[in-house]
Amino acid sequence: MRNSFDEKILDEALDWIKTNQKVVLATVIQTWGSSPRQVGSRMIVNENGDFSGSVSGGCVETAVVRECIDLIKENKACKKIEFKVSNESAWEVGLACGGEIAVYLEQVN
Amino acid sequence: MNIKTLEQIIKNKSSKVEFAIVTNLKNGESQVYEPGQKLSGDFDKFQKEVENFFKSKKNGIIENSDIFVETYIRPIKVIIIGAVHIAQYLVDFAKSLNFEISIIDPRGYFATSQRFPDLKIVNKWPVEAFKEIETNENTALIALTHDPKIDDPALQHALNKKFYYIGALGSKKTHENRCQRLKESGFTSEQINLIHGPIGIKLGGKSAPEIALSIIAQLVSETYKK
Repeated sequence: MRNSFDEKILDEALDWIKTNQKVVLATVIQTWGSSPRQVGSRMIVNENGDFSGSVSGGCVETAVVRECIDLIKENKACKKIEFKVSNESAWEVGLACGGEIAVYLEQVN
Repeated sequence: MNIKTLEQIIKNKSSKVEFAIVTNLKNGESQVYEPGQKLSGDFDKFQKEVENFFKSKKNGIIENSDIFVETYIRPIKVIIIGAVHIAQYLVDFAKSLNFEISIIDPRGYFATSQRFPDLKIVNKWPVEAFKEIETNENTALIALTHDPKIDDPALQHALNKKFYYIGALGSKKTHENRCQRLKESGFTSEQINLIHGPIGIKLGGKSAPEIALSIIAQLVSETYKK
């Protein structure tokens, strides 16, 4: 059995929107190897780069925040990003766990 | 995601409706799926796969597609007997772990909203209280009063309904006496052995938050064993 262990991130997303913030949802959609967060883990980011929740153990959050801000600036609906050990950007932000994750970004509109 | 979809998700969560979010990763469109409901538009051809994900309570991408499914299940119900000091810390832990807590305590001076803000306390004896709380094999019981008058009827209910976790506070001696009483009431040793008593994993602490931590740790561990 598993509990839902829902982190109330989506509730928070709605609260942010109600205060006129632009919100991007970042969701872990795939994992390979020893990734720290399971599929469905989520963080939210606003146009100022404020964020809540997580998609890894702190390894890639900085890069995700940057990508989310770009998504808002370019006014794009969605984007998929992958973080791999062999990937340069992953080295840059330090995916120390050795796992790989795919994160899906989508704007709430 | 459309804001209307987000609002529906929040609504379903607060009304404890189980559902799934289905997202087309190509264009960002998403829909909320509820059991028995037909998916519309581009999603309709994935109806069967979405249902399978929902049944197995899994999250993931449907094979050979760009459709991501995320299932939301109802939180596990945990009944606490006794609105005591330890219960106040259990409520705190349960909030971050997303257990749904109900407290039963017939003693009005314990069961006050001032001690437990934002929580429904059933100020009745367990036999009466369980008439208004729906329970099943996915429910957990934490008995904290160590008063046989209050704990015993709740433990009997939990055993009869086959709760997946049953724990009772009290020393080894208290627990021995409790087991003896349950035996006299007709419960088998096999049933009685299902009760975690003395409750909690061995942490060594004696303060209320430490005991609460040892109880919640045992509860999480037993949840994953099932």
